[in-house]
Amino acid sequence: MTDNDDFFDRLRTNARQLRYEPDEMMSIRIAARVRERIAAESQSGIALVLARWFRPVVASLATLALVATLGIQWAEQSHDAAASLDTMTSTQTVDISVGGDTFSVE
Amino acid sequence: MTSLPMFEGAGAGSLGFDRLVFGVEKARTRSAANEDPIEARAIAAVKAGDAGAYDYLVSKYMKRVVSIAWGVVRNAADAEDLAQEAFVKAFENIGRFKTGEPFGPWIYRIVTNLGLDVMKHRKRFRHEEITDSAPAARGDRADLPAISNELAERIDRGIESLPEMQRIVARLFLVEEFGHAEIAKMTGLSEGTVRSHLSLARGKLKEKLADLHGGSND
Repeated sequence: MTDNDDFFDRLRTNARQLRYEPDEMMSIRIAARVRERIAAESQSGIALVLARWFRPVVASLATLALVATLGIQWAEQSHDAAASLDTMTSTQTVDISVGGDTFSVE
Repeated sequence: MTSLPMFEGAGAGSLGFDRLVFGVEKARTRSAANEDPIEARAIAAVKAGDAGAYDYLVSKYMKRVVSIAWGVVRNAADAEDLAQEAFVKAFENIGRFKTGEPFGPWIYRIVTNLGLDVMKHRKRFRHEEITDSAPAARGDRADLPAISNELAERIDRGIESLPEMQRIVARLFLVEEFGHAEIAKMTGLSEGTVRSHLSLARGKLKEKLADLHGGSND
């Protein structure tokens, strides 16, 4: 075992030079791309946070607007219905004939 | 915001880094605490939202991360992509990183895992290929800096001739000088499996390189 470990120790000493060394250009490229991607992610992160806040706000406002529209619509409709009933009752006349005379009753 | 030296170059960056990397067997007994105060500050700043502080970590670990990636995929372009991906992934998950721990083992684990994924993908792709042509050479030795002696070249050839996992583990142990426990964490294998891969690799390498190491074949 010790012999084996010695063998590996000796290999290690010589194998160190087999490490891959990126050249300067590669290092610069990697650093620049990492920075670029992080910046893009940070921006999209901000957008996500904003979206997370804005979405419920917008949804609430939309719901309110819808409820208000429907309410107004409903109010207008019921107002129109009451008005038309009034009109109907006021314009309708009842003719009553008594002894050859016709009387109109509104 | 914390002010940090930006890209201070390999020399300055690698000083503290080398302390983390060399003598990994000793490192097992050493505390896992982060011994580099600048690194600890950089991590804290990144966690606090200062993305610029990440430059320090990238420059400090760049060489080693690329070397580990290259050792797994044996291709400069893939190693570059892997290193980039590893740094971005580490940044994305920095919130999960334990404060006070050294960044090195974490980024090494990420890049090794990404490399292993690439190898899995390659293997699957190779299986799907029509294999009537000779398989492409796995090694891309031309990427390596000029190997100064024949011995190193033979070691490289020996490592490259090993089956995949033995090759990766042997390279991490011999070339990158990581310890068994570190390799186990990096690769997701158990320490026993790492030892077993190394033992098999040792036997094969000893056979191949017997003449270079006193001819003992025991």
